[in-house]
Order: sequence, then C-alpha cells, then structure tokens
Amino acid sequence: MPDTEVRTAIDALRADFRARLAAATTDRDLDALDAAFLSRKNGSVTALLKQVGTVPPDERREFGRLVNAFKTEIESAIEEKRGAVAATRRPAGAIDPTLGSRPIPIGRIHPLMRVRQEVEDIFARMGYEILEGPEVEDDYHNFEALNMPPDHPARDMQDTLYLGVPIAGGTWGAHRGRVPEAQVRAATLLRTHTSAMQIRYMKTFPPPIRLIVPGRVYRRDQLDLSHTPMFQQFEGLVVGRGITLADLKGTFEAMLRDLFGDVRVRLRPSFFPYTEPSAEVDISCQSCGGSGCGTCKHTGWLEILGSGMVHPAVFEAVGYDPDEVTGFAFGMGMERVAMLKYGVDDIRLFYENDLRFLEQFPL
Amino acid sequence: MRILLSWLRELVDIPDSAEDVARTMSTRGFAVEGIETVGTGDAVIDFEVTANRPDCLSVGGMAREVATAYGVKLRTRGPGASPSGSRGGPKGPAPRSSALQITIENPDLCPRYVGAVADVELRPSPTWMQTRLEAAGIRPISNIVDVTNYVLLELGQPMHAFDHARLAGPEIRVRTARPGETLRTLDGQLRTLSPEMLVIADAERATAVAGVMGGGNSEVSAATKTIVLESAYFNPLSVRRTSKKLGLKTEASVRFERGADPATAVNAMRRALALIEMIGAGRARGGVIDRYPARIKPGVLRLRREKIAGLLGTAIPDRDVRRMLERLGFTLAPAPGGWRVAVPTRRVDVRREVDVIEEVARHYGFDRLPTTFPALTTAPPPVDPRIQRARDLRSALTAAGFFEAVTFGFIAERAAAPFAGEGDLVPIANPLSELFAVLRPSLLPGLMDAVAHNRRREQRDVRLFELGARFMRSTGERQAVGCVWTGAGAPEHWSGSGRPVDFFDIQAVAERVCQALGVEVHTTPADERWLMPGRAAAVFANGTRVGVVGQLAESIADDHGLPGNDPVYAAEIDLDALPPAAARRAVRVEPLPRFPSVVRDISILVDEALPATDVRATIRDAAPPTLVRVSEFDRYQGKGIPPDKVSLSLRLTFRSSDRTLTDAEVQDAMTRVIAALKEKNGAVQR
Repeated sequence: MPDTEVRTAIDALRADFRARLAAATTDRDLDALDAAFLSRKNGSVTALLKQVGTVPPDERREFGRLVNAFKTEIESAIEEKRGAVAATRRPAGAIDPTLGSRPIPIGRIHPLMRVRQEVEDIFARMGYEILEGPEVEDDYHNFEALNMPPDHPARDMQDTLYLGVPIAGGTWGAHRGRVPEAQVRAATLLRTHTSAMQIRYMKTFPPPIRLIVPGRVYRRDQLDLSHTPMFQQFEGLVVGRGITLADLKGTFEAMLRDLFGDVRVRLRPSFFPYTEPSAEVDISCQSCGGSGCGTCKHTGWLEILGSGMVHPAVFEAVGYDPDEVTGFAFGMGMERVAMLKYGVDDIRLFYENDLRFLEQFPL
Repeated sequence: MRILLSWLRELVDIPDSAEDVARTMSTRGFAVEGIETVGTGDAVIDFEVTANRPDCLSVGGMAREVATAYGVKLRTRGPGASPSGSRGGPKGPAPRSSALQITIENPDLCPRYVGAVADVELRPSPTWMQTRLEAAGIRPISNIVDVTNYVLLELGQPMHAFDHARLAGPEIRVRTARPGETLRTLDGQLRTLSPEMLVIADAERATAVAGVMGGGNSEVSAATKTIVLESAYFNPLSVRRTSKKLGLKTEASVRFERGADPATAVNAMRRALALIEMIGAGRARGGVIDRYPARIKPGVLRLRREKIAGLLGTAIPDRDVRRMLERLGFTLAPAPGGWRVAVPTRRVDVRREVDVIEEVARHYGFDRLPTTFPALTTAPPPVDPRIQRARDLRSALTAAGFFEAVTFGFIAERAAAPFAGEGDLVPIANPLSELFAVLRPSLLPGLMDAVAHNRRREQRDVRLFELGARFMRSTGERQAVGCVWTGAGAPEHWSGSGRPVDFFDIQAVAERVCQALGVEVHTTPADERWLMPGRAAAVFANGTRVGVVGQLAESIADDHGLPGNDPVYAAEIDLDALPPAAARRAVRVEPLPRFPSVVRDISILVDEALPATDVRATIRDAAPPTLVRVSEFDRYQGKGIPPDKVSLSLRLTFRSSDRTLTDAEVQDAMTRVIAALKEKNGAVQR
C-alpha cells in the first residue's frame, strides 16, 4: 500500500468518524463509536494497522506514524465529546418537570356571591351601610307598612309562601347596640323582597340613611329558565333632606357603570306600591351594543332593577315626616346581574351547584 | 293589553310606525311585550299595563296616554261614532218600568248600575268588529256579546248582556248572595256563593256574579229576542275578594278589582246601544236607566311647585305641568305655590300629591331629568360584622378546596326529618310541591343533593359548603355554615400521595371554619341520627356546643340518591352560637421565644377506648407550665399490641420564656408525666 493510498484511506475513515461523532449524543453512542474504530478485534483503524505487511519496508515507519496519529486524534475527539455529553447529562436525583404537579385543591366563591361581594364593595365605597336581615318576616313589615294593605292586588297568595306555624325570625344589627326592631317575633311568611328591612331599619334609626341589604327572598314561582322559587336580592335605601329622583339616577349610573363597564343607563316609569314615582332601570345591551338583538328582545335595553322615590305612606308608617325627608329605594336581583355579566342563560344553573359550572369562575 | 295600531290612530294623530309608538310609550311607563304585524300594514302592540293603571286597559285609555306623549289632541267621539266616523245614539226616555226594574240593595258594593233594554236578533257580528276583537285576543261569539266586548276594549267598561225573557220579574236586583246559593257560571262550573259575594239577581235567583262572570240561567242565545244590558261600577275590593275566593279571573274582574271608572258607565251604555243599532243587531227599547246611589266625586289634590322640584331634582316650567296634566284629563286651578288639581275618577292611582308629580315626571321624561349624587352628611355607620364573617368563611373554605354552593331554603319533609326533633320542622302552608314542603332545619340535605348531582356527572371528588339560614320551630331562624366532602382527601397524583377523605379531614374543616372566625374549638364523641354511629362528634367552643361533624349515615346518602358507596363526611356549625366577632378583631402580639425549646417523645400503651383528649389532659396537668405543646404523632394497633389496646406516641415540647431549660428539669417533668399517665390512664410505657 503506497503512502498516497494510506493517506486516502485515513481521510475516508476520518470523514466517516467525524460524521458519526457529530451524530453521537450519549455515552452509549460514544462507546459504539470507539469500538467501531479502535476495537482490537474489529476496529476499522486496527484493521488498517494490520495491513502494515502490505506497505513497502521503507514506508512502514511513516505508515505507523500516520495511523497512530489518527488513532490518537480519534481517542481525544471521543474523550472531548464524552465531556460534552457528561455536561448535558441529568444530575442524580433529577426530576421530570414535565410531569403533572401535585394538585393543591382550591374552591370557588359561588357566582351569585361574587356578584354580591362586588355590589357590596361598590356601595361601600359610596358610603353605604351593609346589613343582613331576617328571611322570615311578618305581614306588617313585608307588606302592610310598605303601602300594601290587606287585599292589595300586589300581595296575591300566589306569590307569597306562608309558614304553617309562626316562628322567631333571625336577628340583625347586633353590632349597633340594642335594636328594638331586631327580632321578628312571629314570622308568618318567607319575605318576598328585602324591602321588609326598610321598615325595620327606619323604625330603628333616624335619617339620613344609606343602606344596602343583600339576601335571599322567596316567591311562589315554578322553576324554569328564568324563575326560581328562591332568589337573591339587593335592597337599597337612601333617605335624607332633599334626596331627589335625579340623585337616584346619578347613583345608578355610577353603580351600574362600575358593575358592567361602559354602559348607558335609562329610567322608565313603572309601578311599585312602596315608591312614587317608580322607575325600572335599564342598561344598554352589551351583546349588541344597543342596536337590538335576541338578548334584549330587540329593544337595545336590558331591565336591571326596580326603583323609585320612597312613598310618603311608607315614611308615615315608620314615623318619618314626608314633608321633611325624601328618599329613594331600589331592589336588584343578583341572578339577573350574574346572568348578564357571565353570559348564563339558564337561572337554574346557579342552584344546581354543578362543579363544572362553578369552576369556570376565577379564583 | 293588546292594542291595534289602526284603532289607536283613529283616536290620535300619530306616526304609523308601531316601533316608534312602542319606543315612545315604553319611556312613559308602558313597557312593550311585543309587536305583531297583522293584515296589511297594521300591527298589534302588546303593552304591559301596570296594576295601578286600569284606566289604560282600553284603546281609549291608551290613546289618552299616547296623545299626551306625542303632544297631540285626543279625538273625542260621540257614543254612536262608528269606526268610519258616523254618529248616532239612542234617544228618548228610559224604558217603562214594566220592561225593567233595577234595585241596588248594597250601594257600598255597587255604587252605580246602568241598565237598558234592547230588542235584538242574534247573528255573527260584522267582520271589522270581529277583526278588532281577535286582534285584542278576544274570541268573537255573537253580535251582542261582541258589542259588549268591543265596548270593553274601546272604553275599558266591562258590560254584560242578560236574556230579558229569562229574567224573572223582569227585574235586576243587585244584592249579596244568600247562604248556600248556587249559580252555574258561563264557564259551566256550578259555583257555591257565600253571603259576602255580590250577585246580580232577578226577582228570584242569582243570574250573575257581579263584576266577575254571568250565569248560564240568563245567558243570551240564538233564541234571545230581548236583552238587558248592564254597565256598572262595582267596589274593587268586593270583586277582588269574590274573584279570589271563586278562583275565577276574567277580563271584567281584572278591571273591576283594579278600579273601573264610575263616570264611564253611562257613556259605555250609550255606545253599546248605538253599536247594536249600527251593526243591525237590534234597537234599544227607550233610553238608559242610571242608578247611582253612592256618587263618587273626583278627588282634589294640591300640587306645589316646590314639591315637584324637591322630588325630581329640577324645576318643571308651569306651562309644561299644566299642558301635560290637562292632556291626561286633570283640571288645574291656580293655588298659592302651585295648583289645585281635580283628578278624573278613572285615575284610581292618583290619590296624593306625589302621584300627580309622577304624572308630570312621566310625561316630562325621566331622560330629561338631571343626574346628581346625594351628598354624604354623616359618617357612614359600621359594616354588619356578618358581612365580614361571610367573607372570612369564603376565603378559608375556598382555600381548603371547597366550592361555595347555594341551595334552596325549603326542602322535602323526608329529607329534613332526620335533622330536626319531633315536631320541630317548620312547614310551608302553601308549598309549590312536596320537594319544597318545609323550611330546611339544616344546610346539609341541600348540599347532599348537590353532591349527588355532581356524583351523577362524573365528579368523584366533591367538596361543597354553603352559608345561610336554617329554621326550626324551637330556635327560629339561625345562620349556619355547612360543609360536605366526598371522594379524595388528598387528590390523586402519580406520586401516590392521593388518599380518600376521612373523619380527620372534615374535623379539620370544622376547626378551620371556627379558626377563621377566631374561635378555638374541640370535638367530643356524639350521637346524631343522621351520622354513622362511632363516626360522629360534637364541636364545642368555650363549653358551648356549636356544631356537629362526622360521616353521614348510609341511609341518608341513599335517600339523596348518592351513587356508589363512597363515604360522605359533613360538618355544620351554628354561626349564631359562636362568640361575637368583635373579640377576634383585637390582636395583641406575644414576644417571640428567646430561648430554645426541648422536645421529648413518649410511646404508651393504653385502652383503645380511651379518648386522646384524656391523655393530653393528664399530661398537661402533670407537667410544669414550661410544657407548651402536646401532639400525637403516631397511633398503632396490630402486631405486638394486645387487642383492645393501642400504642400512642406523643411529642411534648417544653420551653421557658426566661431561661434555657436544663436536661434535668425536663427529665423530671417527663418522669412526673409518665407516672401520672400510669396512675390516671393505666398507661404502660413502651
């Protein structure tokens, strides 16, 4: 084998080695590479060295130098690569961070209570007192004092759930000291609105008043897409000298924009026995921006709460002088707010407590 | 109230766009339920008329509102005017008394009764009349019945026609029903009347329930040749009570119970007789008989400028006030500071000055009112601690993996029974269904239903809580928090750290609830009908029982339809029984310990039945005050432990606030502890 052939053979082996070295990524790859070139039995470099007999005697020295230099080159290249592979190897005790983490269970606040807390916070910022009242009431506070005497059409038996036996109602206002109206002594019905607390509060405290009463109310309604026999309401009451319908308007604009974002607010005349004038409050439909769609029955507006100026008969019932003070009151359904805010189209979802529904709300 | 647009436009000059009218009127207090196109270019607008406005339950009534809203004139029409505009009307004296006698025995219940007699021939009414009735949702029957319904729609006055030949007398007697008197009403039902009900009778028997429904015994039919027409004003309360008691609601009763207009009765009668003549249904026999023993006068109210501005937040110009109110039919006379306003009798809703101000505001437009903000004149009162308590509980429980549920306040009696003592449930007198028969004595049955709902929907791990009231006869309404937990205690994980929930998980939840409210509690074994024996405990705070915790009895789980046999653990805490929240707001920080603590472990063998709390109490009593903590860290039964015994390992931590404890004094303490355990609890050290 002449010198030139030897050089050609080494160059071919080198090209092969370099390619395979570049592809090697593990210690096993490198072991295989080492064996393929340097194994005593069948390494390709070993095989080349064994051909020394075919080399002319005067070139054997040079042959040995060339092949051994190549052998050293391979050895150090593999060694170097071993260092590089070792540097990328996972340390002992390494974990696989792509595995699933260990869950930390976390629950959610009910969407109706999210709404409730949000509304509470908005009114708290406006300086309102927040109070809870009893859920079972007597006829006087739920109806009569609210300008709904017996036989008033608005208090149809159909709407009210009555108790089979009178019971003591819950207390309220313990933190305000001795409150004479704090206890419902003989409740005969489930309150049909949180307005009953207007009477209890005004009979206890003098004006001025800024009050919010969140809570459950009950009506004799069948369960369907938009009705439940129990629902959540907010009662609001503002009483003082010179409170006007314009104040009511300003308050709702501020509150509803805080709650729903950039919406327009309008008042429509309506009727409630305990307010005069009475107004339904609408917000512009967010689904269509007010141009009309299925959600808003093509009116561009969504009814959101009922309100009005406190009826003088209500002031008279609690011993306030309607010539001295005026005020406004309102009632807002939390379900309605939650349905609009969260895009819920079936009210029953709020009462099924399906985890697949509840977990859609943020922490 | 379904109003045909073309009919309305006969009375007022308004745009022919139903949408325009609907939009305008909805800002005047008449929400629109819907608009239907009918025929060619006509429409029916369905207005929602609030309960206080019976005067708008007619085309004429709505027309007055529409005229005011658009600032146009209301066309007043003679009683005989036909839809195409011709006029007519019955003339002449009232019919001879031999034709009809009218007697009102109860003028308080029937202040006015207008009657007339007409000779008729029953046939279908003309198409234009039928079309108008159908547009309003009323089925055409015959020319005579249709005329009464037409007048009802046009003027809002309910009318009734009797067959003259079938009236004994012939006579109309307005009286209360006799005891036990019965009447088959036009709907075919035999009604038993009671003595407070007002009836229209002939000389012998009741022939109609006044203001509610006519009777079959005087019903007009094809054979009818002569009719008696009725146009009356009945006491609203009387009609309402009768209608409610009979469970019978009609177009007539709805109007009478809200308040008809006594002033319209005669006009309506004239209009009906004119229509009968006009459509060729017959002729009036003479004029009308008007009995009006209890005259109802229009109310007169004062209206002060200052009050308008005081309530609305802006002054309304005098001329606007006058113009709007006069269009609505009010009569204004100047008075100091404002006006004296005469209220038309149809406006039963206007009884006080504010009611008049509402009329002004309505037609001035709520949208034109300014937007202001009420000034704060006093410091806001403190927030109800219950509001904060609810928030604290929500934070603590959601952090513990619990989802907040909201369930109904009433449940089925069967579900409630295990949670209340004998006779302690509060029944609902008029429940919607068996499912909502009693007020809940506990939050847990509702939560169990929610657990079952989720379990049936592939949710194995369920943790729910609810805040709310529960009710019992003995204790009334009280606030509570309930928690239920089933499935995993620690969630499933590839590392194998998952495990099913057990008693000590729910016990921790009960403790966490109380801790969140600043109350330390302990649990002791208890018996509850709805908990599994041996898996139930009472929760105590300062010696007061505040709640219960444990594993639900299987029978309860079965009753709620819970699939599978996984145990369900529950806790309920009476929030009203916990000490007031004010105390937990006062925080005083303790200095941090400056000296190291010494820890000693002991293992003892005690009776299995010995409560751990007894062991801890023995240790605390025997140890010096330097013992700051005792906790169990192992409990073992099985190999090497005699049956009925348990090996308990406890860790004791000693620390002093003023020095480093010596080994000797800790050893001394341990010796005393071990001796005490041996003596008091029969413990054997292992």
